[in-house]
Amino acid sequence: MAGVGVLVLFVKGFIVQQLTLGLASFCTWVERKGSALIQDRVGANRAGAFFEVGDLLKTDNVLLQPIAFVVRTLVLAPTLALVRFLGVLGVINTLLNDALKALLKEDFIPEGTSPFLHAMGPFMAVAPVFLAYAVVPLAPDFVVAGYTIRPQVVELNAGLLFLLAMGSLAVYGVILAGLTGNNKFSLLGALRASAQMISYELAMGTTFATLVLVYGSLDLYEIVMAQAGSVMNWGILHGTGIVSFIILFVVGMAETKRGPFDMPESESELVAGYFTEYSGMKFLLFWLGEFAEIALFSLILTIFFFGGWHIPFVSLPEGVWWAALVGHAVLIGKVLFFCVLQIVIRWTLPRFRYDQLMDLGWKILLPLSLVNLVVAAVIELSLK
Amino acid sequence: MSTSSYLTISIILFSIGTIGFVVRRNAIVVFMCVELMLNAVNLAFVAFARHHGSLEGEAAVFFVMVVAAAEAAVGLAIIIAVFRNHRSIETSDADHLRL
Amino acid sequence: MNIFFILLSAIALSSALGVILMRNPIHSALCLIVNLVAIAGYFALLNAHFLALVQIIVYAGAIMVLVVFVLMLLNSKLEEQKSAGLFMLVVSSVFAVMFIVHMSKIYGAEFSTSGVASASLQGTVANLGRVLFTQYVFSFEASAVLLMAAIVGAAMLAKTTPERPRGDGERV
Repeated sequence: MAGVGVLVLFVKGFIVQQLTLGLASFCTWVERKGSALIQDRVGANRAGAFFEVGDLLKTDNVLLQPIAFVVRTLVLAPTLALVRFLGVLGVINTLLNDALKALLKEDFIPEGTSPFLHAMGPFMAVAPVFLAYAVVPLAPDFVVAGYTIRPQVVELNAGLLFLLAMGSLAVYGVILAGLTGNNKFSLLGALRASAQMISYELAMGTTFATLVLVYGSLDLYEIVMAQAGSVMNWGILHGTGIVSFIILFVVGMAETKRGPFDMPESESELVAGYFTEYSGMKFLLFWLGEFAEIALFSLILTIFFFGGWHIPFVSLPEGVWWAALVGHAVLIGKVLFFCVLQIVIRWTLPRFRYDQLMDLGWKILLPLSLVNLVVAAVIELSLK
Repeated sequence: MSTSSYLTISIILFSIGTIGFVVRRNAIVVFMCVELMLNAVNLAFVAFARHHGSLEGEAAVFFVMVVAAAEAAVGLAIIIAVFRNHRSIETSDADHLRL
Repeated sequence: MNIFFILLSAIALSSALGVILMRNPIHSALCLIVNLVAIAGYFALLNAHFLALVQIIVYAGAIMVLVVFVLMLLNSKLEEQKSAGLFMLVVSSVFAVMFIVHMSKIYGAEFSTSGVASASLQGTVANLGRVLFTQYVFSFEASAVLLMAAIVGAAMLAKTTPERPRGDGERV
């Protein structure tokens, strides 16, 4: 019994980790190719785009010729056609070539810093984000061989607080990167980034409190189940949901340090901000963490405001494996929409000034979220 | 695990914090040693709460955290003010009976 | 359960030693963060899940970020020049050891069991909230006032007045 439990836990963890990496890679690809579309460029389209079957496996041996023919037409040609297709789309360039290049690059460590702390920087930027996925439910419950399986790695009754905790730990990746960079650009970038993240965490925490008040639960699975039924039950249409959604969306953009909020890495002033001194795979890890965070915020928005895996006007049967699959696909579809939306905003809007960013966080979003909390409480009381 | 093992860990952490508080001269490190002592006491509170099966100990921990947060805000502001006037945050340099 | 306790104890004790032994204050701060997360682990072992998460959010996520932030701002010459001498170290260590031996003797006799185990008294959000808002509601409101006062006080202390006469002129 305990063995089965541990096995199920490992399988769940593995699947969620693969999903995280998949979402992050999708965001990377959209970032590369989508930015090219927005800026009227072609974008990555070279790697693998010119593979031809050509003279591959041509042989003079009469006996081997049929085999070679079969292999060429049935295996090689379709594979290469797929590779060509993906290559033109830029998938091979962004996901394969860039990763390989980063692996082969020199791992540069600046003089006078501790190599251990330097390596801990990207680790601390990625690990909390990946851990936060553990409490996110990804599909409705389903029954296999008598066991009810909940597609959520940890069934924590305070899942929302866990998200907040992991979000606050993610600051240390930035801080460590800035400290061990041993130059002014890293330090200034890290100061900007951590101040920004702390400032926007206030509005995020207050909005989370509002959501707890509305749903009456800290468990993300129960929050999704509370939105079952019609579209009118979705969080965004309930009470002050639209205000909470706008606040959380802006906070999400700012917490991922992207979009119009990318002061910490503003190229024109700070080279690359806190990851100036990182190269190779450690540099890519920061990007992975950033994209995983984008996907995480999209998941949170979907779960809080857009009904998770619920489909408008359709109700799926409960406890069936295919319903779980359909629900999961619907959830991921919504998440991908928000990922793309965030990336489009990032490539459309110009960068704020730093004082404007602080004003937005402290003078607009924080008071707005406090008022939102009070109004939501009044509405909840009057509905009872 | 028995309650006494948690309490022993708590005592050791508290003692380490006290030694640091006495020995170190950097004001921020002294501040961090105080935080260490507070945390040791928090651990003891939670252990007692479970031992007696009541939640009052956990409520006490909650208030300790609130006070620690307030202390951090004011304490660090004082340290910054001292640094601005003395260009140093060694506790032995702040001997003018004012900021 | 036992293995988690031993692991956490090793982490907590070594990082606590790191806090007082590291010469660079930033390394001390990082050690303290590890220690705080380990203590959150103890809370989770003791079934106080809410407190464990709040410990990470408040201590690791807010207080220690503030400390590291201040350390980064005052980045110059933070390495300790001198420490308080061998005499203080020896005296405080002797007293600490005496304290540890004495207290653990008392506690070891009286708290050798794991106490009352009742599921209804777990530190979930609902249970702890009920205690906080009924029995301790005055302290709760008072702590809100305290936080407000701390915010105002910190802002006043850290604010720079444009040209303040330095030296003998003005008492601050």
